[in-house]
Amino acid sequence: MYMSVAELVDAAKKTKKPIYELVIEQEMDTSHNTREEIWDAMGRNLDIMAAAVKKGAEGEGVFSKTGLTGGEAVKIKNYRSAKKTLSGDLMMQAVQNAVSTNEVNSSMGVICATPTAGSSGTLPGVIFTLKDRLDLTRDQMIQFLFTAGGFGMVLANNAGIAGATGGCQAEVGSASAMGAAAAVELAGGTPEQSAEALAMAISNLLGLVCDPVAGLVELPCVKRNAIGVGNALISADMALAGCTNKIPADEVVAAMDKVGKGLPSTLRETGLGGLAATPTGVRMKEKIFGKAVDAKA
Amino acid sequence: MTVNYKSVFDIIGPIMIGPSSSHTAGACAIGRAANSIFQETPTDIVVHYYESFAQTHKGHGTDYAIISGILGFEPDDSRVPYAIGLARDQGINITFIEEPEDSPINHPNTAIIELTNSKDGKKVTVAGCSIGGGTIEIRGIKMNGFDIKPKGPLPILLVPGSEVDQQNVTDQLTALTKVNEKKQYQSAKGDLFEYDLDRRLKPEEVKELAKNNTNLVYL
Repeated sequence: MYMSVAELVDAAKKTKKPIYELVIEQEMDTSHNTREEIWDAMGRNLDIMAAAVKKGAEGEGVFSKTGLTGGEAVKIKNYRSAKKTLSGDLMMQAVQNAVSTNEVNSSMGVICATPTAGSSGTLPGVIFTLKDRLDLTRDQMIQFLFTAGGFGMVLANNAGIAGATGGCQAEVGSASAMGAAAAVELAGGTPEQSAEALAMAISNLLGLVCDPVAGLVELPCVKRNAIGVGNALISADMALAGCTNKIPADEVVAAMDKVGKGLPSTLRETGLGGLAATPTGVRMKEKIFGKAVDAKA
Repeated sequence: MTVNYKSVFDIIGPIMIGPSSSHTAGACAIGRAANSIFQETPTDIVVHYYESFAQTHKGHGTDYAIISGILGFEPDDSRVPYAIGLARDQGINITFIEEPEDSPINHPNTAIIELTNSKDGKKVTVAGCSIGGGTIEIRGIKMNGFDIKPKGPLPILLVPGSEVDQQNVTDQLTALTKVNEKKQYQSAKGDLFEYDLDRRLKPEEVKELAKNNTNLVYL
């Protein structure tokens, strides 16, 4: 099993195989499933992602039971068609796709966790935007998910991917890094450039806290995926331009693990710090659960 | 080396009902582990929550997720949000307790599940933690007088029987995967062996193992 970014990059260079191919081979080896079974399973994940991207931006959009989030993917869609966006249509399309997916998640719809549910909008945000931009085939989109997943396994096994242990950097940060690295490969970049994109993406979001209002995966989680997807595309572009992070990817991953462990528990998915502890955040919690819950906490 | 994330589908996946992979899909997985160990429908379910689980279980749907797992549902089953009602319709008593102290198994996302069947007196306790992305660890199991303390990462295979009985299990497992750790437990009822496996077994492989060991538990 590939346990570091360096191992994955070295293997890709030595074998002259794309990273997605190495990840598929690794999966065949560990699961004893056939290549076709593995490929089809990833195809089903892609279909679930496509459905969520679409669902959140249709009609009035989707809304969570609490009313804290929902309908904003539709607002972004309407804004894109009516106005000249500041950051460009591609960027806002990516943001729309990410927000749409996470609004579906908050409304208890069906999503594919990538790597987590709270960060489930970031990768679809990247891939369904690049689909139009680079005119991708379904096969290429599935390849993207294998590459992203391979890098994600390294992150998960070395630093963790839970907000409760590592903060949001471990969730949206990881998703963003996975998307950046896989986007580079799709665009024809080298394995080293994928590693640089991953390193830059994590470095940019290092220290991001997990502070969900009322403990719900809504505020600020939905919009954190907007920065996740933006950061992924920016980091991928910087890597493709030849920019480097200077601090190697595996050292950045180790730093993320240390930073996560150093975060106080109030900023690790307890809903007790950050935005959750603002007067408005506390009021929202009381309105949803009543004061009794707050008193117990 | 024991790693928690053994498959690319632990990262790209699972397909699930929102909103939280650790507090919903992972909670469902801890419930499913308890279901696999108990192997019958309980009359009473008591769930103890610690730390992040204690603070945020209501918002994340952890309650129905864990019950859905105990009922044997997958995390993308459309019945997941209705699991508590479905369980109560079967006459199952359910209690959730927010524990104020730190997790006894040292993880912020901890649930300890007690399942009892008042009709035959059967009782098990399962201590699990949800480590992110829907992946879980099981760090404590009390069943049949055994006090089992696994390191955590799945898959884990539990096989009752003496050292001699285990020879065929060991042989079969060796052909399938590496055994990262083998531990022996003793109780008044005999011996039990815990095997920490290097890869997840396919359903048909577990079935084959169960042919000679009907009481095995695969997590």
